[in-house]
Amino acid sequence: MATLIIDGQEVHAEEGQTVLEVARANGFEIPTLCYHPQLEPYGACRLCIVEVIRRGRSRLETSCTYPARDGLVIKTKSPPVIEARAVILGLLLSRCPNVPVIQELALEYGITEPPFPVEDPEEKCILCGLCVRTCHELVKADVLNFSQRGIERRVGPPFLEKTRQCIGCGACTIVCPTGAIEIVLEQAGIYKEKPLGPTAAIWVPSLQAVPRVPVIDTDACIRFRQNDRTEGEIADACGVCQMVCEAGAINFDQQDEVVEVDVGTVIVATGFQMWDPAQLSQYSYGKSPNIITGMEFEHLSNAGGITSGEILLADGRKPEQVAIIHCVGSRDHNAHEYCSRICCMYSLKQAHLVRDKTDAAVYEFYMDMRAFGKGYEEFYERVQEEGVVMIRGRGAEVEVLPDGKLRVKGEDANLGRLVYVDVDMVVLSTAIEAPHDANQVAALFGLSRSVDGFFAEAHPKMRPVETNTGGVFLAGAAQAPKDVPDTVAHAGAAASMALALMDQGEVTISPAVAVVDEELCSGCKTCISLCPYTAISFIEEDNVARVNEALCKGCGTCVAACPAGAIEALHFTDEQIVAQIEGVLAWV
Amino acid sequence: MAERHRADLLISCLHGRYPELIPTLQEEIERRGLTGEVGVVEAGCRGLCAMGPVMLIKPGGLFYTNVQPADVPELVEETLIKGRAVERLAYKEPVTHQSVCYYEDIPFYSKQVRHVMHDCGMIDPQSIEEYIAVGGYQALSKALTTMTPKEIIEEVKKSGLRGRGGAGFSTGWKWEATRQSAGDVRYAIANGDEGDPGAFMNRSLMEGDPHAIIEGMVIGAYAIGNVRNAYIYVRDEYPLAVSNLNIALEQAREYGLLGEDILGTGFDLDIKVVRGAGAFVCGESSALMQSVEGKVGEPRPKHYHATERGLWGQPTALNNVETWANIPLIINKGAEWFASFGTENSKGTKTFCLAGQIQNTGLIEVPMGITLREVIYDIGGGIPGGRELKAVQTGGPSGGCIPASLLDLPVDYDSLVEAGSMMGSGGMIVMDDRTCMVDIARYFLEFLKEESCGKCSPCREGIRAMLEILTRITEGQGKMADLETLETLAKTVQTASLCGLGKSAPNPVISTLRHFRDEYVAHIEDKKCPAGVCKALIEYYIIEDKCLGCGLCRRKCPQGAISGEKKEVHVIDPALCIKCGICRDVCKFDAVGVR
Amino acid sequence: MPRLKSVEELQKLRTQLQKNIESRTETSTTITVGMGTCGIAAGAREVMQAILAELDKRDINAHVTTVGCIGMCHKEPLVDIRQGDEPRITYGNITPAMVSRLIEDHLANGQVVDEWVVGRVAG
Repeated sequence: MATLIIDGQEVHAEEGQTVLEVARANGFEIPTLCYHPQLEPYGACRLCIVEVIRRGRSRLETSCTYPARDGLVIKTKSPPVIEARAVILGLLLSRCPNVPVIQELALEYGITEPPFPVEDPEEKCILCGLCVRTCHELVKADVLNFSQRGIERRVGPPFLEKTRQCIGCGACTIVCPTGAIEIVLEQAGIYKEKPLGPTAAIWVPSLQAVPRVPVIDTDACIRFRQNDRTEGEIADACGVCQMVCEAGAINFDQQDEVVEVDVGTVIVATGFQMWDPAQLSQYSYGKSPNIITGMEFEHLSNAGGITSGEILLADGRKPEQVAIIHCVGSRDHNAHEYCSRICCMYSLKQAHLVRDKTDAAVYEFYMDMRAFGKGYEEFYERVQEEGVVMIRGRGAEVEVLPDGKLRVKGEDANLGRLVYVDVDMVVLSTAIEAPHDANQVAALFGLSRSVDGFFAEAHPKMRPVETNTGGVFLAGAAQAPKDVPDTVAHAGAAASMALALMDQGEVTISPAVAVVDEELCSGCKTCISLCPYTAISFIEEDNVARVNEALCKGCGTCVAACPAGAIEALHFTDEQIVAQIEGVLAWV
Repeated sequence: MAERHRADLLISCLHGRYPELIPTLQEEIERRGLTGEVGVVEAGCRGLCAMGPVMLIKPGGLFYTNVQPADVPELVEETLIKGRAVERLAYKEPVTHQSVCYYEDIPFYSKQVRHVMHDCGMIDPQSIEEYIAVGGYQALSKALTTMTPKEIIEEVKKSGLRGRGGAGFSTGWKWEATRQSAGDVRYAIANGDEGDPGAFMNRSLMEGDPHAIIEGMVIGAYAIGNVRNAYIYVRDEYPLAVSNLNIALEQAREYGLLGEDILGTGFDLDIKVVRGAGAFVCGESSALMQSVEGKVGEPRPKHYHATERGLWGQPTALNNVETWANIPLIINKGAEWFASFGTENSKGTKTFCLAGQIQNTGLIEVPMGITLREVIYDIGGGIPGGRELKAVQTGGPSGGCIPASLLDLPVDYDSLVEAGSMMGSGGMIVMDDRTCMVDIARYFLEFLKEESCGKCSPCREGIRAMLEILTRITEGQGKMADLETLETLAKTVQTASLCGLGKSAPNPVISTLRHFRDEYVAHIEDKKCPAGVCKALIEYYIIEDKCLGCGLCRRKCPQGAISGEKKEVHVIDPALCIKCGICRDVCKFDAVGVR
Repeated sequence: MPRLKSVEELQKLRTQLQKNIESRTETSTTITVGMGTCGIAAGAREVMQAILAELDKRDINAHVTTVGCIGMCHKEPLVDIRQGDEPRITYGNITPAMVSRLIEDHLANGQVVDEWVVGRVAG
C-alpha cells in the first residue's frame, strides 16, 4: 500500500492504482475527456494533468496514467496545472467550438471564446480514442481506429469505408464524450420500435418485482453477439457489467436448466398473461406509440421506468388529454366473454395518477364500474371528484388522426348517443387471459380447464383451491382473474391445504384403486392417456403400466378400457359387480 | 573470397549517380592487365557526400572527388600504372581553391576523429570477410570468452558512453537497469529510424558498416542477459541500409556469429531487421516499440522506463545504431581510451551531418566538445560566397537554433541543452544571413505538424496553433501580443505533451524567440523581413550603382518583370514580380537587393 | 561458408583474410617500383608482378606502390624498399629473377643486398 499526499491531504492507494483513481476515490476533482474506468488509460487529452513531485523534482504528468507510487506529492490545482489545462482547453475549444461538454469545461477555466482560429465549426471529434479503445478492448470488433497523422488524424473504420465487422452495438456512441458518432440504421425495421421496451442489453423486466432482478438480452448483448458471430472465437468481448458488478452477480455461463424435485404436493400458480389488443383492429394498437396498454402505462408511470415516472408522450411532451378504455378484450363476444375483474380498479388508479402527475383531462370509457372490494367504491368516488370524466359505454374505436391526435369514439349509454373525444394518449385496459401454454400445464398435472381457459377447481363453492388430482392445488389468477387481495387469500388457502397434507406425512387413500396384472399387461399405454388423474405411469424396464395408488381415485376408466383386461378395480372386480347385479336381479 | 591486391580503389558516395562507373573501371583494369593486382570496392560513405562519387586509393591515400566514367582511362594510366596523381580530380580547398591530393591532408578529414566511421568507406559493407579482416568481431570474441556480463556493463559505464540518439542517457546505466529488471525474456533494439530532415549519419553507418552495429548488439545482448531476440528498426526509405543489414545478418549467421551457440560459447541470439513506414514519431522509443509489435506507431506514457517494461512489456534496451556501433570500440580499446576523447560529461566522438549553407556538405565525426567554430569553418569550410553565419540548427526539427554569437560553444549534450537546443541524433543545419529565423521556425513547425502523430491534444492542436501564428507573422499580419501567446503555447506543449516529439516541438519557436526576438519584432512592428525571405514583406530592386546592364536577370525572370536597355540600369516592376529571387541568385554583381 | 565454432577459428580466419585488405592496413614496409615509360620499357611491370608473387608466397606484409620516372632511367627497373624509419634503399637494374633473393634477404632476413644498391636516402 502506497501513501501519497494530494493537495496537502494524506491518502492511501492500492497496488496498481493510478493517481487519478486515488484522487477521485478521495473526492478530488480532476477533469478528463479520454478516460474511462473500464478502458486502458490512454493519456491523450492531457486534461487530467497534475503536478507530480517525486524525489524533489516537479513535473506535469497525466494522472490517468501515472502510477500512484509511494511518497508522491500531487498538486491538482497548482498554477502550472491550471495554466496548462486552460491552454489545452483553449486548443480543444478552437477545434470543437460548438461541443457543449468542451464549452462547459472551457468556461470553468475562464475561456468563453475559441482563442485560436477555428477550422471547422462543425467538428465534434476531439480524438480522445474512447471509441477506438472500446471497439478494440471491449467489443473486440476492431472496427474503429485512427488513420492519418497529426492534425489530419481521423477516427473511422479501415479506409473509412463501411465494414461488416461493425456489429452496430453502439458502444462507441455511448462512450463518445462529445457526441461525434451517430448510428445510422440502414435497414429500417430491423429494430422494432420499442418506446417502452429495453434500452440496453441489460434491463429489468418487472420494475417493482422483489427482488428486482435484471436480465441480459442475449440478442442485444455485445458479448453474446460477438460469441455467436465468430462461432465462439471472441468469447470474451465486453463484460463491462461483470467488471462493475460489485456483488459479482453476473455469470455469463449460466444456462437454463431442468430441476427435478420429488414432492408430495404441488401448487399451480402459473398466473395469467395480458391479452394482445392488436387482435381487434378497432383499437389501432401499434399504429401510434401513444396508444398503450394498461401494463405499458404501469412501466411508464413507474418511478424506475424510462421516464423516471413522468407520464409523457412518445415525443417527450406531456399529454393534455388521456382516454382510458375499459373492457378491451373482456366482456366481448369477439374476444373474451368473461369480466377480467381487475381492470376497473386499475383504470381508476391510472386515471388518478394522470390527474396527479399531469394536468391532462381524463376520459374513462366504461360499461359497468365494478368496484366490489373493500374501499373500492370510495376510491371510485374520489376519482370522480378529481375531475375524471366518466363516460358510460364501450369505447368502440380509436382513430389516429393525421396530426397524431387520437380520436376515441364510443356510445354514451346514459345520454343514448354516440360521442367522440380527441386525446393525446389512449390507455387500453386490456383483458387478462390464461397463459398461452396453460394446456401443457394442464396435461402435466391432469387438470381440467373451464371454458374461459383458466384451470378448473374441484368445486366452485366447496373446494375452490383443490383440483381433481390429489395433492395438486391452484393459487391466484391461474384459476380465474383475481386482484391482489383475492390472489393473496387464494394462495394462502392453497398453501394451508398443501401444508395440511404434508404435515400428516402420509395420505389415507380409498381402498378402491385399480391394479394392473403385470402378467397380462401388454404395455400398449392406452390406459395412461385415459386416466384423468395421471395416476398411471409406464415402467420402461418392465414394459408394463403401473398405477400410483395415492393418485388413483378408483374411477374404473382404465379397467373398462384395457384391451387385455389386465386392470382390475379392487372391491369392484368383475366378479363382485356381476354378483351385485345378480343380487339386485334376484330381489326383483 | 577476395584476393591480395597491391592497390584497392575504395569508391564511396555513388548515390546512384554513375552506375556504370565501377563496371568501366573494372573493364579498364582488365584491359591494362591489372586484374588481380588492383581491387575495386564499393565502400560506405566517406562523408563528402556532395562531392561524390569519391575515390580513395590505398595504399598511399590519394583521394579523388567527382570521379566520372570518362575519367577512368586517365586515372588508371596515371595513378595505377605510373603512380602519379591526377590533380584535376583532387579535392579543391573551398577558400584557397588549391588542390589537395591526399586524403590525410584534406582539412575536412584531418580535423575529424573517425572512430565509429573508421571502417565506413574503408571496407566493402557487403563482405563480412573484409570486416573480419580489419578486426571485426574481435570485440565480440573478447567479450564472450574473457569478460562477464557485469564486467562488460562496468566497462561501458566507465567509458561514459551516452545515447547517440539525442537524449544522452548513459548506455551502461541503461543496460544495467535492463539487466536488473525481472524477466526471463528481455530485448535489445537498435534505433535506425533517422527521421530528421538533413540527417543521414545512421543511414551511412548502416549502409557502410552494418557489422559494427550487429557486433555491438551481440555484445550488449550478452551483457544484458536473457536476450534471445533483438531488432534493428530501420525506416523503409533506406532500402540500401535494409539490404546491407540483411546481407550482414545472413553472413553473420552463416559464420556462426549470430544464431545458436555463437562462436561455440553457448550464447544464442538472433537479430532481425524491422522496417518502419517512415513516420518521424516512430523514432520515439515507445512509438518505435509499438511499431515493432505491429501496432500503430504512436507513443505511450512512459511512467515505466523501457528498461522495465518495453517491447511486449518486457525489459528492453533501446539504443541508437551509432551507440551500438561504439560498443566494439570500447571493448577492443578499453574504456579509458574511449573516455580520453570528449569532455567531462560527454565522452567519445559523435557523427554529425553538415547541411545548409556550408561548403562541405556531408557527414563528419568529431570528438565531443569541439566548438561549433571548428566544425563550421575548419571542417565545413565555412559559408559559401563568403556570407556571414547567422545560426546553426542542431538536433533536428525539434532542436533549436544557436546564434552565431555562440560559435565557440562546445558541442556536447549539456552545452547544447543550455543554449536551448539539443544534441539530437546529429543533424546540423547551417544558416547564413539570408535566412529568416521566423521563417525557419515556421518551416520546422510545418514539418512537425505533418509528423505529430496526433494522439495528444497539446502537440496536435498546439503545433497547429503556433504554426498559424508564425504564418501570420511571416505574412505581416502579426501582433505583438502574438509573441506572448506563442510563449504560453510553447510552454504548455513543452510540459504537457505525451512524448519527446511533443515536448521538444516548441524548441524551434522557443530558441528563435530567445536568440532572435528582434527579427520577430521587425516582422510585426516594421512589417519588414530583415533577411529578405518572407515574400509578403519584401521587395526586390536593382541597386543602380552596381547594375552594369548585362541583361542576365531580364532573361532569367520568369515573369518578364525586369526591363532595361543593354548596358543601362535595369528596373524591376513590383507589380509583376513574384519574388522568386532568381534575379538575385543569377546576378554576378550583387546588384539585386531586397528591402 | 565455414561456421566458426570457436574464437580460435575466428582468429585463424582473420589471419587468412588480412592479406586481402593488406593494401588498406598500415604497414611499416613499402616497396616502390619505378613505373615511368622508361621503367615499363625496362621490364618494371614484370618485376612488380614477381614482387607481388614473392610477397604472397612468403606471407610478408608490405605495400607495393608505383611511382613515375625518378631520373635514373639507365638504372631502371628501380625498386625502393623502405622499412619504418630506416633509410630508403634503392636497388637498380632489377630483373624478375632477382626478386626472390631481394625479398628473402632484405625483408625476410633484414640484410640489405649491397651489390644491387644504387642509393640510400635517409628519412
